[in-house]
Amino acid sequence: MNVPPAVLDHESLEASAPWHLSEALDLAAERSAGDSRFLGLELLDRRGATARAVSWHELRQRVRRRAAGLRDRGVRPGDRLALVLQTSVEFFELLLAASEVGAVPVPLYPPVRLGGPADYAARTCAMLAAVDACWLVTDARLRKRLRSVLEDVKELVVLDVDELEGSTEARGVARDPEDFALVQFSSGTTGSPRPVALTHRALLAQARILNSFWPDEADGPSHSGVSWLPLYHDMGLVGGLLPVLLRPSRLSLLSPESFVSRPALWLQTISRKRATVSAAPDFAYRLCVERVRDDQLEGVDLSTWRFALNGAEAVSSRTLQQFGERFAPWGLRPEALTPVYGLAEAALAVTFSAPETSFVARRFERSSLEAGTARPSADGVDIVSVGRPVPHFEVEIRDVSGKPAPEGCVGSVWARGPSLFAEYLGQPEATAATLQEGWMNTGDLGFFDDGELFLCGRDKDVLVLNGRNIDPTWVERAVAAAEGVLWGGVVAASWELGADDGERLVVLAERSLPAARPASEIVDDVRRAVLRETGLRAERVALFQPGDLPRTSSGKLRRQAAAEHYFSGRLEGTAE
Amino acid sequence: MTSTREEILAGVRQVAAEHLDHQGPLPLDAHLVEDLQLDSLQLMTLAAEVENHFRVLLEPEDEEAIATVRDLVDVVRHKKGGAS
Repeated sequence: MNVPPAVLDHESLEASAPWHLSEALDLAAERSAGDSRFLGLELLDRRGATARAVSWHELRQRVRRRAAGLRDRGVRPGDRLALVLQTSVEFFELLLAASEVGAVPVPLYPPVRLGGPADYAARTCAMLAAVDACWLVTDARLRKRLRSVLEDVKELVVLDVDELEGSTEARGVARDPEDFALVQFSSGTTGSPRPVALTHRALLAQARILNSFWPDEADGPSHSGVSWLPLYHDMGLVGGLLPVLLRPSRLSLLSPESFVSRPALWLQTISRKRATVSAAPDFAYRLCVERVRDDQLEGVDLSTWRFALNGAEAVSSRTLQQFGERFAPWGLRPEALTPVYGLAEAALAVTFSAPETSFVARRFERSSLEAGTARPSADGVDIVSVGRPVPHFEVEIRDVSGKPAPEGCVGSVWARGPSLFAEYLGQPEATAATLQEGWMNTGDLGFFDDGELFLCGRDKDVLVLNGRNIDPTWVERAVAAAEGVLWGGVVAASWELGADDGERLVVLAERSLPAARPASEIVDDVRRAVLRETGLRAERVALFQPGDLPRTSSGKLRRQAAAEHYFSGRLEGTAE
Repeated sequence: MTSTREEILAGVRQVAAEHLDHQGPLPLDAHLVEDLQLDSLQLMTLAAEVENHFRVLLEPEDEEAIATVRDLVDVVRHKKGGAS
């Protein structure tokens, strides 16, 4: 068996095949025929019972029929195929069938329940346009909810997943590792959707890197994963599916909805499946602390959970602490909590904290961080280390002039490695701004301390909430609709240095004059407008007098500066 | 089995209290987003838990029409066989 080595050296990465998703599936199917440990995928219902289980062998059969179906309908190599499907076996069938026919799958979020944000249709249309999608696969149920999207995008052919099977013999499509295997969005927004195109080689390199963290040991447990993460998200798709495709393992999947409505189900499932690996953004760990009751944990044993990966948004030391303490009586090991850092543009992981050791959090002086130096301070802000670069990755901190900065200096975080994206699809300028000479500007700010990477802000304008990247202009436009708010006087922010409770949405808004409405009414209106348009809750809304928020010489708001001044207390709102 | 609007409203209140930590009144005319200020995660929770509680399945076209507590109650009532 090709079991990944504990340490992935350069040679083993280069030498190991497969380098194409279709090849990876073929190999998994062959192995699963002779080795019962290659279990495949299992879909759980909302009570956690097994609804469907498919072996890799069976999945391959189904993928072939789907591929024939796609071909029959006219899908050609290179076509972009949008997938709007819930967590299901069908999703994986279509994803891999796209690879089989050489098309590029683009998973998009399904509509949110009970209406959800008002501009779902607009955002989905923008994403479809950004990838120039010619096909969209969905099911009959979701199709009804997508009506307004489908009316707006004329050239799109909609395929019903239940009618997509064919029987024509496969015509050999060249399996080139440098072809695009997946497009995932870095930011689910109308303003600037960024379609991140990843090659087969990049995805499989990332899968191997991840697998190197949980090697199979002769007397150790057989690894298996549980995930409820959405499949249009890098942590759910790249982190969930790909590693298990390459090793003797099983992935048990819950829908995001099942987790959100009943967080205890996640922990119960990890226990029942004796899972060793399960990942989620910080908010999910917080949700468990807030919502899981003791009586839901009867018989639950979390001692098998060796990698409770926490990433995709800022990791809060308080969340980790509370989660660790809350669930220790149910066998959770404190060293299981593993802060990680990654982004869609790197396929997924860039750094990992050391496996099976307690997470590292250190305190640094706020004012010196803002001035560009990390100085330890007992009463400073608490920052969680996201660890060290994963195998084959390098991370560099660069100063404002673009030169590498020494340890302890705050600067832009750049990364280089074998799973970086190829381009923002059809956006050469955005690509050139991010990818330079093999290195990628992550847009995050950070520093190294004792070899560990600490993140302390962003130099790109993006909010990260509930594990999703969000363009602040989306929120700001929603706020501008509230009566009493100055047009062009709104800043949305989420990252607060050293905040205890992770990232929360904060809105800073200048009032329009004359101030006829009571501040409390404006604040209420702002909250409602943000919820209605975006489905996000504004945790804090602060009002200011016109001109209070920092601006550039041309009068544009300086978003970063405004947020920094507000969080550090230099800028106080007139009402909150 | 048919249920009265009051029974269903009581069930929705119970779901809101248990799963959304919603304290306080839940008037029929309250708008889920505008008045109750439910975010998208909470809307998801509400839909799933109402389905669990009443053992009904909300269809996409039902969901599109749900903006207020009353709309939700009426849809559930219709599904449970009551006149809407």
